[in-house]
Amino acid sequence: MRDAETAPLLERLGLRRRHGVGAAGWAWTLLAAVVSLIYFAPVLWIILTAFKSYNDALAIPPKFIFTPTLENFVGVFSRAFSSGGAAQNTGFSLYFFNSIFIAGSSVALALIIGTLAAFGFSRYPLKGNDIYLFVILTTRMLPAIVVIIPIFLMFRVVGLSGTYAGIIFLYTAFNLPFAIWMMKSFFDELSLDVEDAARLDGSSDRSVFFKICLPQVIAGLAATAVFGLILTWNEFLLALLLTGVETRTVPVAMAQTIGGDIGVRWGLLAAIETLFLVPVIVVTFALQNYLLRGVTFGTIKR
Amino acid sequence: MTASTSGFLALRWSNWPLALVAALVLIPLAVTLLPAKFSFWIAGLGVALVALTLVVRAAGRHKGGLLVAPALAVLFVMNIFPLLWSFGLSFFNYRANRAAPPSFAGLEYYGRVMTDPVVWNRLHTTAIIVILTVTTQMVVGFLLALLFANDFPLRRYLLILVLTPMMLSYVAIGAFFRYYYEPTFGLLSQMVLLVTGERFVLLKTTGGAIAGIVFADAWMWSPFVMLLVLAGLVSVPKYLYEAAAIDRVSRWRRFWSITFPYIRGLLMLALLFRTIEAFKLFDIVFLLTEGGPGSSTETIAIYVYRMAFQYFRTSESTALAYILLFIVIVLTNLYLYFANRRAKEI
Amino acid sequence: MSTIALKKVTKRFGSFVAARDVDLTVAAGEVVCLLGPSGCGKTTTLRMIAGLERATSGDVVIAGRRVNDLKPERRNVAMVFQFYALYPALTVRQNIAFPLSAERIDARERKRRLERVAQILHLETILDRRPAHISEGERQRVAVARAIVRDPNCFLFDEPLSRLDVELRQSMRGQIKEVLSGLSKATVIVTHDQLEALTMADRIAIMREGIIEQVGSPHDVFAKPTNIFVASFVGTPQMNLIEGKLLRFEDGRAVLAVGGNETRFTVDAAACRLNPSKVTIGIRPRAFMPADDAAGDTLTAVAELVEPMGAEMLVHVRDEAGQELRVVVPRDRRLRIGERVHLRCDPRQTHFFDESGRAVRS
Repeated sequence: MRDAETAPLLERLGLRRRHGVGAAGWAWTLLAAVVSLIYFAPVLWIILTAFKSYNDALAIPPKFIFTPTLENFVGVFSRAFSSGGAAQNTGFSLYFFNSIFIAGSSVALALIIGTLAAFGFSRYPLKGNDIYLFVILTTRMLPAIVVIIPIFLMFRVVGLSGTYAGIIFLYTAFNLPFAIWMMKSFFDELSLDVEDAARLDGSSDRSVFFKICLPQVIAGLAATAVFGLILTWNEFLLALLLTGVETRTVPVAMAQTIGGDIGVRWGLLAAIETLFLVPVIVVTFALQNYLLRGVTFGTIKR
Repeated sequence: MTASTSGFLALRWSNWPLALVAALVLIPLAVTLLPAKFSFWIAGLGVALVALTLVVRAAGRHKGGLLVAPALAVLFVMNIFPLLWSFGLSFFNYRANRAAPPSFAGLEYYGRVMTDPVVWNRLHTTAIIVILTVTTQMVVGFLLALLFANDFPLRRYLLILVLTPMMLSYVAIGAFFRYYYEPTFGLLSQMVLLVTGERFVLLKTTGGAIAGIVFADAWMWSPFVMLLVLAGLVSVPKYLYEAAAIDRVSRWRRFWSITFPYIRGLLMLALLFRTIEAFKLFDIVFLLTEGGPGSSTETIAIYVYRMAFQYFRTSESTALAYILLFIVIVLTNLYLYFANRRAKEI
Repeated sequence: MSTIALKKVTKRFGSFVAARDVDLTVAAGEVVCLLGPSGCGKTTTLRMIAGLERATSGDVVIAGRRVNDLKPERRNVAMVFQFYALYPALTVRQNIAFPLSAERIDARERKRRLERVAQILHLETILDRRPAHISEGERQRVAVARAIVRDPNCFLFDEPLSRLDVELRQSMRGQIKEVLSGLSKATVIVTHDQLEALTMADRIAIMREGIIEQVGSPHDVFAKPTNIFVASFVGTPQMNLIEGKLLRFEDGRAVLAVGGNETRFTVDAAACRLNPSKVTIGIRPRAFMPADDAAGDTLTAVAELVEPMGAEMLVHVRDEAGQELRVVVPRDRRLRIGERVHLRCDPRQTHFFDESGRAVRS
């Protein structure tokens, strides 16, 4: 926070104090580039491998220069399951759809239910609010194994095993604690004066919520969405145990591809993961400003 | 006989004490007498009744109750109820692959679990892995944050590159790190081949396997720590540094007195969060080494999984899971305590 | 020797000029106020003295040394920030003692200085609290304490009283003045509040859009403003500005055409040299004296709005030419809305500005 006089001025001009312009700045960039490369290299390798032919992928020493091919990407969706056999549909288009559908639905549901609940916790504190919130947070921290056994049995008994409803319901519960905490922190920040003014003007509670509160917490919705999507998208254990043939998600299908088929077709696997990676990167890039807030559970406000 | 409209025995939808008592009586009865299939439904109904009465009562009184109810309901069904169910189950002799109704076993399984040398061994393994990977993540993440706190060209894009490991699915990471560690055509082995002329099998030894796991996990999650610390670093108001410059204070003191207090709380948060997550370590270990070589890298979470789904010692596994849960709750309490402190401090 | 000298100092941000050719000297023990509206470049100038901004051109000289290339750490200046910039994780005691770690003094001397400063600013009771747990006024005093506990080349204050409420401001003004007078260091205070400037400064530099319009003692700036801007900026209620056309001079008085009428004003002798042109007359609200009857040198006006100000009244009047004027009269001179009044101007408080806005004065 600069003093009142220079701040609006500089902001108006779009100028900021940059230390690190010139040679010093580029030195940092070089170091950061090396570091980023270390982190990105395996990801890059996966993406490259996706474009390699079967032999290239297994080459010793590993090839960096190769002729790219799209056969793996095609193979994701249709390939021969035994040598010499005819190409068959692998069902991956279904799996991709499942992942999108399941992750999207559960995050959306968690957002809706969670935002309502967060608003309730924030504006109408109940007795024992803190206890509720603590319990809610604890459920987030639960080891999956503690709940997996009874849930597994539950699903089997109720017939939800392998259905969309079951896994979506579970993932919603998975994302809820985070959504509630995040949105509550946003609602707590809002100034009540605006709401009071609206109430005096005759707005009902519902329109206060939708017209005044909700627009202001879009950042929170985005942060929750990003983080929830990333977690749900890549979730493995629960999906492994609770999805059936029709509802399988991509991570589970990937694990099975490793086991079956003709050996480990790294190119194929890489192609699956590359395709799988795209939505996450797109979402993260689009909502990157909100990612920080999501990661810190709302404790850091910018 | 007329039902009174007030008092304990009143048959109203908001009479939750009555519902609670009824549930507490019916459920144990059902569990002991009926096969699991039916007792489950009875238990579910009982619980649902209690929940419903609570909700109706709240809805009558507080608007907040109505808003909050759906969320609580979902969490209750998917989290609390299974928890209670499995808690109850851990006191019974239940095996998922047998149809016989369970018999009461008291604390037998808890005792068995606590004295099982395998459990302690797995806890030991988990502890080693957790300490190693969390330390690495914290140190590397902190250094990364220091780096990215500066302003330099292309900072934004490089930052996103660093975040990509978090976006990969565990399966892919497990599979590909296995690929890198593969003695024949893996990258690691080939690099060592260039230097020493010998193939390198990382995952053959316990030490090597642990190193492989720690490296993969730290690689994946140190950016998370970086984000947290970075958030703290960036939240320090610039004018504090200006004042420190004018006060002619050394850079080291500047860091300790000004910067560190802002990131201290976040470091704590990162530490606790990653520790709790590391305790639940399953995916990466399972996909990389499957607990091997032998069972030397099997974490406690994997052991519970095997107990429940491979050996079908259901009740025993729930007992163990509950002990783990207890540890996690203690840690979560710590987490919340520090989170609150941070909110009050600055 | 604690002095500050700015020689033709200019600061550019890209194509925007924040400060242009600023010339200023501050002698040891002197308090100079940089006064002006928001965005006039006063804070930028202060920050250039501190070293937090680099001057684009010109010389910044502190204690006789050109310091343009020196970082703030090397300049040995003390600054009180607008938002105080207290270190939140340290106690008040540690905050005040913080700069002393850079000076080579032993623990005993450090303690002595701390206690002395705490006594001067009445901070003894809160030494062990954190900045978050003390009041705004106390925070301000801690910020000042942190500055004066050192032995710097000069003191810089950035809007020190702007965050305090009115009563606190009054008492702090006096306290700061007292503290500064005992220290004999060059001091620069930035403020947008003219009352602050008028009471605390030995000299005031009025700035507008990056340029110093006038430098002078509070009295000079008030009684002898060099242009219209300074005249209307300094003094409350604001000076009345009457535009008109200079026709001629008669008997040493100027005859102006104001809104169709001819009026006579007694002005400074130097004005005689002027040709007929557009001019502006500036009359302070307290320069009007109500007269009983109309005369050749009075203005007749009708009261439109009356604002009681305690011991005085601010009356908005409209004269025959349709001009709105602000007049301050003592409370017991009762005026009602719609009442007609005759006003005579005190020639000593009448200012004459030529068509470029510059004051004409001998």
